[in-house]
Amino acid sequence: MIRGAILVTIGVVVAPLLGGLIAGVDRRLTAWFQSRYGPPVWQPFFDVMKLFGKEKLVVNGWQVFCAYIYITAAMLSVVLFFLQSDLLLILFVQAVGAIFLVIGAFSATSPYSQVGANRELIQILTYEPLIILAFVGIYLVTGSFKISQVLLQTKPLLASLPLLYIALCYALTIKLRKSPFDFSTSHHAHQELVKGFLTEYSGPYLALVEIGHWYEVVLILGLCSLFWATSWIGIIVLVGLTYLCEILIDNTMARMTWRWMLGYVWTIGLAMSFVNLIWLHGR
Amino acid sequence: MLNTLLFVLILGPFIAAALCFVVRIRHIRSFIVLAMACLLAAASLLLFVKGPFSHTPPSLLGIPTHWWILWGDDILLFTMLYYGFKHRHLLTKILVIFQIVCLDYFELFMVDHSKTFPLFVADNLSLIMVLIISIVGSLICVFAIPYMDKHEEKEGFQKSRQPKFFAFLVVIMGAMNGLVLSNNIIFMYMFFEVTTLGSFMLISYDRSEIALRNAVRALWMNCLAGAAFIVAMVCAYVTQGTVDAQKLIQAGHMGGIMLTPLALLCFAGLAKAAQIPFQSWLLGAMVAPTPTSALLHSSTMVKAGVYIALRFAPGYAGTFLSQCLAVYGAFTFLAASAMAVSQSNGKKILAYSTIGNLGLIFACAGINTPEAITAGILLIIFHAFSKALLFLCVGDIEQHIGSRDIEFMRGLYAKMPRTAIVALLGIITMMLPPFGVLLSKWMAIEAASKHLFVMVLLAVGSSLMVMYWARWAGILLSAPYGSQVTPERQGVLTRLPLLVLVGGAVVLSLCAPLLYSNLVAPILSAPSFSVRAGIFDNPTGAFLLYPVILVLGLGFICALYAARKARKARTSGPYLSGAQTKDPECFEGPMRKPVAVSSQIYYFESIFGEQRLTVWFNIFGGMFLALLIGGAL
Repeated sequence: MIRGAILVTIGVVVAPLLGGLIAGVDRRLTAWFQSRYGPPVWQPFFDVMKLFGKEKLVVNGWQVFCAYIYITAAMLSVVLFFLQSDLLLILFVQAVGAIFLVIGAFSATSPYSQVGANRELIQILTYEPLIILAFVGIYLVTGSFKISQVLLQTKPLLASLPLLYIALCYALTIKLRKSPFDFSTSHHAHQELVKGFLTEYSGPYLALVEIGHWYEVVLILGLCSLFWATSWIGIIVLVGLTYLCEILIDNTMARMTWRWMLGYVWTIGLAMSFVNLIWLHGR
Repeated sequence: MLNTLLFVLILGPFIAAALCFVVRIRHIRSFIVLAMACLLAAASLLLFVKGPFSHTPPSLLGIPTHWWILWGDDILLFTMLYYGFKHRHLLTKILVIFQIVCLDYFELFMVDHSKTFPLFVADNLSLIMVLIISIVGSLICVFAIPYMDKHEEKEGFQKSRQPKFFAFLVVIMGAMNGLVLSNNIIFMYMFFEVTTLGSFMLISYDRSEIALRNAVRALWMNCLAGAAFIVAMVCAYVTQGTVDAQKLIQAGHMGGIMLTPLALLCFAGLAKAAQIPFQSWLLGAMVAPTPTSALLHSSTMVKAGVYIALRFAPGYAGTFLSQCLAVYGAFTFLAASAMAVSQSNGKKILAYSTIGNLGLIFACAGINTPEAITAGILLIIFHAFSKALLFLCVGDIEQHIGSRDIEFMRGLYAKMPRTAIVALLGIITMMLPPFGVLLSKWMAIEAASKHLFVMVLLAVGSSLMVMYWARWAGILLSAPYGSQVTPERQGVLTRLPLLVLVGGAVVLSLCAPLLYSNLVAPILSAPSFSVRAGIFDNPTGAFLLYPVILVLGLGFICALYAARKARKARTSGPYLSGAQTKDPECFEGPMRKPVAVSSQIYYFESIFGEQRLTVWFNIFGGMFLALLIGGAL
């Protein structure tokens, strides 16, 4: 019981702090790649605090509703993750947030928001099957969709699921809103669509969305960590390397079109997932 | 007691139909329909409380029941033949004549009617079906009363066609009740044919050229299903010497020759449920008034197809047929979801979504583990409520805004706040947790995880499904800047069905653990989940239903509170790169002329276009069907 309470607290409190910190480190590293000095590591927190202090300005009242549902769902999915719950359930709960964010974007009439929402749906469409198939891979190895079973493994999952991990990394790149897949919204200043589907979220509500995003980052990195969950060193090395790769990709790739993304990620990603699943099946 | 209940549930609607047809006074007809709706709902609840039974009712008017059935069948088939000649459709004529010859020979010269076995057997699956048919179906009939008045007013018919319309609307419910309760497959066949004729009549209601064409298409496709059903009966009788459904299910375990009739029954079910390549009849049925589509799609007709597959599922467990059905169902799920993405016609989106969900239920029947069967049965329940609700909403919206295109539903919240919220809830119950449809989808995916192909198809299909629902939900809420929400006026008979259905969709999801442990678990060969404190748990996975409901519910309340508080906040026009004119929905275009802002949903015509995909999907669907039948022969 106490253990459960501690895990829930970690999920609710520590996860966003960690997510914000990761965002700060990300910006520092990106600046370093680009020979800039970059903001302090705590900058994301300052940004969010500032957003909370801004005046409330609303385009459509439903957006407020959607922002709250988004952060609730994101928080719940992280808590479920720390409680070692069912992987598919976590994905579906996370989807509640993602979908409501899109619904909110659709509710504003600005074409930027509308086009961004359409693009975000394409992104969801692209990454969801990959994540589901990665979970199926985990199921085929451990015999269960529960994270608690994954943690009982003695061999890192990565050994049996290498291709699925790569496919999951595609999903990760999309979910983190990194180039070349960042066309629904992006953290870069040079957004072609202003701020994509987040255009009309502003002030405190944008701050909520930002915190929700931190939760999601922690969730996705947590999913990655499952692939080497046998030792803490394994987790840190795997997740660290993966995230470094993400930053590198973000900085070296140009933004592509959604057609390219859907075609490329589905053919390569699904093919790799399928091959990996067949290996497991063949055993 | 049981005799009375069966009489009310099965023959009651037929009597009501006759009254509707004969008494051509509007108010009396409305009263008959309302009374019948209440009576059916009450009778179904009573039957449900009584629990499973097997029973042979006494013969009507002293004439043996099989004679009634034979006459009923002949009247039905000759009526169909008449319409085959009237519309000069060769295929219908051939199929109907084939059925007449086979059926009469079979019943008169082959079947030994002296063998006795219970004519009606109900287990929990049948009882659930009776509840869905009688309650959801009745609500749709009630909704139809004011709807049809407005509809006829708009169409400007010289003479009201409502008597015939309501007659067939209620007949279908009686036939469905009969179908799900029958244990004698000859009975089943007759009721199956009644739904065929009923749907033909309802689709052809408008008598426009397109309505007639689509009705004839529905007729011949369902006649094909009927023909398959007859051949299945004959095969089953030749090999097993019985028409007792329970015996046939048990005999299936022996495999071999028994699989042929089961495969043919599945084929009949697949055609009835409009699985690819038969989807065109259900899509064509959209020309009919909304209550027709709602009834055919949610609680009756297509559900007859999945019911047959689930009913006979234990008979083909572990066979090639079962595996084929799993892949075929999953394929349909993916294909229908993909084609729905390219649609802007609200009713068509709903139609494809129905086909997809039915595909998922077939896939569950094919996977054939206790988990999968649980998923299939729960999906039938939850889908019926949400889908009926959405159809009725689209019907209501169409009568107000004059279009069923989702692009025209932009800003519906400002014009019809009630209906928009109800429709939004319907959409959310179709795709997101903690609602029942997603719960069953979760069960289905976990049950499918050992079947690689099925799994991949389901994974891709379910993301496509989320896509077309999410954007529709968003569209409903979008409202131009500064528009005032005008309260909506709605008649009692329109509002009541909508509220009951939306309440049912939400509350039943909360009751999912109860539904499972009281209704579904007793009919499974082994319990698929242990349910404790609202948590569905088994070694494969766990769905924390009540905890999730609790947290999301709290979040929902906070969100509602915050949104209410934000009403006081300053509002601003949508972002238009700073080129806004005084009207915040316009920007300053070339020559300083104001240009109205517009945007459209992405329909991905080049990828998911209906015309582009239908041909290929039909070919694949046909191949799967050939595999399914051929493998069993």
